[in-house]
Amino acid sequence: MTAKQPMVEERKERDSSFSLFFQKKNLYKVIGLLAIFVFFLLPVMRLIWLSFVDDGSLTLQYYTEVLREPATWKTVQNTLIIVAGSTILALVLGVLFSWIVAYVQLSGKRAMQLFIFLPFIIPSYITTLAWTQFFSASGPVNAVLSWLPGSLEAPNLYSIGGIILLLGISHYPLVYLFTVNVFRKIPRELEEAAATSGLSKKRAFRKVVLPLALPGIASGGLIAFLSNLDNFGIPAFLGTPANIRVLSTYIYEQVVGFGPSAFSRAAVLSVILGIIALAGTVLQWFLLRRSRVNETNRSDLTPRIYLSAGKQKLLELSLWIFLLVTSLMPLITMGALSLISAYGVPFNLENLSLRNYEYVFLTDSKPLSALTNSLQLAFFTMLICLVLGTAMAYLRFKYPDWSTKAAELSMTIPFALPGTVFALCMIFMWLEPIPGWNPGIYGTVWILFIAYVARFLVLQVRGSYTAFLQIDPSMEEAARTSGAAGWVKWRRILLPLLFPGILSGALLVFLMALTELTVSSLLWSSGSETVGVVIFGYEQAGYSTYSTAFSTVLVLGILLGGGMFMLLGKLWDRKVLKNK
Amino acid sequence: MIKVNNVTKKYGSFTALHSIDLEIGDGEFIAVLGPSGCGKTTLLKLLAGFMGPTEGTIAMDDTVLASTKRVLPPEKRNIGMVFQSFALWPHMTVAEHVKFPLSYHPNKIKEGKKELQERIDEVLKLVGLNALAERYPSELSGGQKQRVALARAIAPLPNLLLMDEPLSALDVELRMEMRKEIQKLHRETKASIVFVTHDQGEALAIADKIVVMNQGRIEQIAPPEVLYTRPETAFVATFVGKCNLVKGQWRNDQFIPAIDLKNVWPDLGVADSFKESGLYPVRPEQLQLMPAESDGLQGVVSFVQYQGHEIHYTVEVGEETWTIHESVFSSRFQTGDFVGISLKNAPVQEGSLISS
Repeated sequence: MTAKQPMVEERKERDSSFSLFFQKKNLYKVIGLLAIFVFFLLPVMRLIWLSFVDDGSLTLQYYTEVLREPATWKTVQNTLIIVAGSTILALVLGVLFSWIVAYVQLSGKRAMQLFIFLPFIIPSYITTLAWTQFFSASGPVNAVLSWLPGSLEAPNLYSIGGIILLLGISHYPLVYLFTVNVFRKIPRELEEAAATSGLSKKRAFRKVVLPLALPGIASGGLIAFLSNLDNFGIPAFLGTPANIRVLSTYIYEQVVGFGPSAFSRAAVLSVILGIIALAGTVLQWFLLRRSRVNETNRSDLTPRIYLSAGKQKLLELSLWIFLLVTSLMPLITMGALSLISAYGVPFNLENLSLRNYEYVFLTDSKPLSALTNSLQLAFFTMLICLVLGTAMAYLRFKYPDWSTKAAELSMTIPFALPGTVFALCMIFMWLEPIPGWNPGIYGTVWILFIAYVARFLVLQVRGSYTAFLQIDPSMEEAARTSGAAGWVKWRRILLPLLFPGILSGALLVFLMALTELTVSSLLWSSGSETVGVVIFGYEQAGYSTYSTAFSTVLVLGILLGGGMFMLLGKLWDRKVLKNK
Repeated sequence: MIKVNNVTKKYGSFTALHSIDLEIGDGEFIAVLGPSGCGKTTLLKLLAGFMGPTEGTIAMDDTVLASTKRVLPPEKRNIGMVFQSFALWPHMTVAEHVKFPLSYHPNKIKEGKKELQERIDEVLKLVGLNALAERYPSELSGGQKQRVALARAIAPLPNLLLMDEPLSALDVELRMEMRKEIQKLHRETKASIVFVTHDQGEALAIADKIVVMNQGRIEQIAPPEVLYTRPETAFVATFVGKCNLVKGQWRNDQFIPAIDLKNVWPDLGVADSFKESGLYPVRPEQLQLMPAESDGLQGVVSFVQYQGHEIHYTVEVGEETWTIHESVFSSRFQTGDFVGISLKNAPVQEGSLISS
């Protein structure tokens, strides 16, 4: 009996420490949720609040003022036309490509996929720049048209149609991304069942394939819709010279216009933009209300439609022409035209020089410092997101309760908000975090850093979460029954398996932060310019040749980085995971 | 000796286990048998320490492994585990899989590198994988993967080996072979084994003792032959022995089927619970078909299924439907035939089977 005494005492002691740990756990949870509230939700609340407040009293004054102006309605009308047009274009292109890639026997699908993603990796303002060069007086389109009989002219990109075209081209990869696996996951037995029930191929497509693909098409459509609504670069580059405004550029003009009520008017416009975004989300929910999707279907990579050799060649040829013309040609044109000495001179040997590059990287100090800024911002944003996002994903994976779900949802908000609106939220939040106290965050690089982490964190959370979902829980359980816990378990088992998934999330964050324009165009200050801001600045000042030179260097850098990442991923797959 | 004492496990409002009591002796091979959702996997996870009980305790020898207050995590328990999906780590070779627990398990090799390598070789030889030590999981067949999973689990010589339906991912031929392999490992390592399965044939074939579970409760714990020949509950009778539960009356240890009062069946070892509820559990092979004009219960054959080594008849007897298995050498019947049915007079089982 006496021998057992100390053990009982020891147990009691451990119990109390255990319950203390439990209390601590709850404490951490509260602190975590509070931090998430402050960084992700409060800024949005303050923006909405500010649209209703004037000198400390509630008012609808700004709403009546803004809503009475015809300019507002003209802008809303432009926004709706452009967003509707570009969303339809993105949907048609995206669904067409995903259906063809998923269903039809083609060679070189992998390479095709790379080219489909190209406009997605290259920031849309650089794509726009490339297209304006492509269609410019000394560009190849005009050269071809002048060689043809008749007086044909290249269409004017600086128009509503031009904006729709570029938005559609930039965002159809998103639709493709969301729908290609949906098509692959439709069990082929369902189509065979339709065929044996007497449906023709066309009717089977309408009655079976389309309804099953609808959820993917609708979510792809929503993402394209939100991206079109959110996009700032394309309407700013193409719309501003032609005096075409959409809500995102109009908000920007309000803020940089520095009128006496600029912020409040911008807040009102942001609420309007938010309402349009919400309406799109509700529409998508309405479309998906009745659809049931079987999540467990495996994706089927073998083609279902075989064409005759001639037809297949013809289809491949036309797809490649489309892909090369829309993704690669404009970039090559941009690269070529960045080498001519002055804007508008013909492209021939005498006019070739590296003068633009010399100016951008040697004479002007801004591009290099912006590149340093953007690289630093992107790197540290990636690092913070990598740690916080992966930790969040692990919690979400391990404890899927209301608190982690709410946390993830809150983190989605800054990313889902249009960039101009989010930038405004950041200004209102960090100008005076506590009313009456200005710690000097706004006007330095710090506000950009906070904004980037808040905006892109969800990308890492999703990326890491997917990586966690892909490893079987028994992998971790086997490690634990073999005696490994804590750091050993992570280092030896979990991290090697998670690495590719986590890394692709981190790379996406890095890329997005590196080339970001919308948020930084409102939050930059002298000395904290980003790459996007400098290119935008050149473009606004009319220095197209400088912006093309700088963009060309960026595109080469991105392609090089992307290629290295793919190589690394393949090596990891083969050397570490031994996949063949 | 492992003692599961009055353990209850709840997930929210759903009770997965209702006050389970179980003892696992040293070196005992126990099969936990039940349909999916019966709580057998929950029991295994509690034994492993992946979660704690809502009520009750689990103890190994004299130390408490788990109570409602504290749960000793799996990495600190002296256990090994084989998973249904094998759970091999794709980035490690066969030898590294065996080395892993030898480096981290509570029973890890504390001596030098030489002893470690010797033990790895020894374990690989035991499961017949010494030629494949440098292969990766993607380069192995299903049976070889299973052997790696077994090798990893037994390498540190755990007191308790847990197996979660380890054979269900293999095809039939391989499953038969691996049964023997597991029996061999049990003989050589002398670890206690808890083997979870939903396949009654597998449980009967390899275990010393079978625990039958249903809806979160233990129905019966008994050695295979006792369980098969003397089921104590209707669930065990139908799940393990595929018994026909014949309704009737018990009088002085004799049974009179309700369908035909002229027949009297002797007690061939029927549990008291059936006697109280007026049932006689008859296994398909205990019944015998005869031409209709003979004595016995009368019925009509509704389905005939040829199985190779025997023939399965489905016979409508009054309101009931019985399954009867006959040897291929006995006289055949066709669908629609009228038949007489009698109970084979198997000798009464002796008590020696019950207390082993």
